[in-house]
Amino acid sequence: MSWRLVLRQAPALRVDGRLLSPAHLHALAADDVRRVALASGRDRIALGEWFDVLPGDADVLRIDGDLSRFDAVGAGLHAGTLHVQGDVGDAAGMGMTGGRLTIAGSARDLAGCAMCGGWLEITGDAGDLAASALPGDIDGMAGGTLVVRGRVGARLADRMRRGTVVVHGDAGDFAASRMVAGTLAIGGGCGAMPGWGMRRGSVVLAGAAPQATSTFVDVRSDAGVFWQLLARDLARFGPPFDDLPRRRMTRFAGDLAVQGKGELLVAR
Amino acid sequence: MTALLFNGVAVDDTFAEAFPMKATRLVVTAHDIAWARHAAVSATGLATSVIACGCEAGIERELDAGETPDGRPGIAILLFAMSGKELVKQIERRVGQCVMTCPTTAVFAGLPPDAGEAAALGRNLRFFGDGWQISKVLQGVRYWRVPVMDGEFVAQESTPVVKGVGGGNLLLLADDTDAALAGATAAVAAMRRVRGAILPFPGGVVRSGSKVGSKYAGLIASTNDAFCPSLAALAPRSELGEGARCVLEIVIDGLGEAEVAGAMRAGIKAIVERGAQAGVRRISAGNYGGKLGPFHFHLRALAPAAGGAA
Repeated sequence: MSWRLVLRQAPALRVDGRLLSPAHLHALAADDVRRVALASGRDRIALGEWFDVLPGDADVLRIDGDLSRFDAVGAGLHAGTLHVQGDVGDAAGMGMTGGRLTIAGSARDLAGCAMCGGWLEITGDAGDLAASALPGDIDGMAGGTLVVRGRVGARLADRMRRGTVVVHGDAGDFAASRMVAGTLAIGGGCGAMPGWGMRRGSVVLAGAAPQATSTFVDVRSDAGVFWQLLARDLARFGPPFDDLPRRRMTRFAGDLAVQGKGELLVAR
Repeated sequence: MTALLFNGVAVDDTFAEAFPMKATRLVVTAHDIAWARHAAVSATGLATSVIACGCEAGIERELDAGETPDGRPGIAILLFAMSGKELVKQIERRVGQCVMTCPTTAVFAGLPPDAGEAAALGRNLRFFGDGWQISKVLQGVRYWRVPVMDGEFVAQESTPVVKGVGGGNLLLLADDTDAALAGATAAVAAMRRVRGAILPFPGGVVRSGSKVGSKYAGLIASTNDAFCPSLAALAPRSELGEGARCVLEIVIDGLGEAEVAGAMRAGIKAIVERGAQAGVRRISAGNYGGKLGPFHFHLRALAPAAGGAA
């Protein structure tokens, strides 16, 4: 059974929302859904205390309301579709391995952190450390696709090692810091020090780009074939990436302070 | 052997016997079509017969910029071998020596990723980069970028290997050399318009058709004496009458039975349309009694609908 959860009132404290997953709730009857206990502070509180439980559309768990006090919404998602109509808290989509999480609102810090599969799309903004590693962990995002239609904060894709991150708006400082591999595309302006400490991977700057730092070198050889492959792949995300195949790019290799096999691709 | 006449051309009541092969399609792109053609011609060179070439290969068709992954003009080539292992070896050798070396080229798989088992394309060639190579995965497909002196050589990691069909054939029996060449040229032009099939011999035509085995130990093939005009009055198994003074063969490899049949049908139609007065008076095919190859292409079934008894 598919469910639609409608938030009646915002909780007083932060709530761990990782049990708000389609795979978990779709297997339960309505009364059992209302009894699902969510961790909030030192307590575990029944879901029904905050949400109305209504029948939903097939295969989609839809949650309506301002969930900005709910953290880890969609964490560990491996199948199915979860749609949130509203804002969410920290660590949305953390550790996703599959499925689809769409957030028609904004997310706070650590959205898509440790993600390794699936599709996470945020129509609003995302906070710091999106697509990065869990605090203290070595590996950041390791697969899947993160799309942010708005802006993102600092340290986007920190330690990212696989997958695709597409940001339509601006990105903060230190985007792709310590990146190991993968693809990051930023459609808006980019903050300072993009690619700081990156070993491999590709960062596409389609909007206003800062001057490359001294540990990146201008590569003057032709990389047109690869650029067409990448640009055509990114064009499916729509504006401002749709015209990338028709734009030229300048390639900077780095970060020479580490392995130096990464690249900043600045679209002209 | 009985034959039916189509526009005066006798079509034998026989069949071409073909064999299963391992096959793949590669797309070679370049800065312009001329350089793509240089690479494709080179990569499909010395690939007429598995008897001694390791594989049979040829150019399938030219591709517009809109048909290739990188938006540049390209050429689709097909390669066929008797085993997957041999095909893998041939792909690596030919792409490494003939495509990677050719200025501005890139190489991609030309079949859908799930079409068959993956064979290495850029997977091993990447080591030419001596540690400077880098890869990128786009929508589940990995590409390798190898630094070379004109920039980068981009190669898709692998190419699917599918079950193909090799050894479809037509034998054109003509009055003389001029008539045989003209007929074969017309047939080849028609057959090359069929997608998914190649004609691996020079100009699409082979004059040294072979039979299995030889009187000499160690030779796996020898001249097809049954269709040699010079042996018409000598060889006990000659299939030739008095009129045929030149016989040419067209060999077809295809990605499937339908492609081989389509090419043979196009070739027969081209000869029949020219009529017997053009000098090709009979069409036959080579087989081994039907005991060796599982694919039998009966000429009558591929010939135009109307015909009369010879």
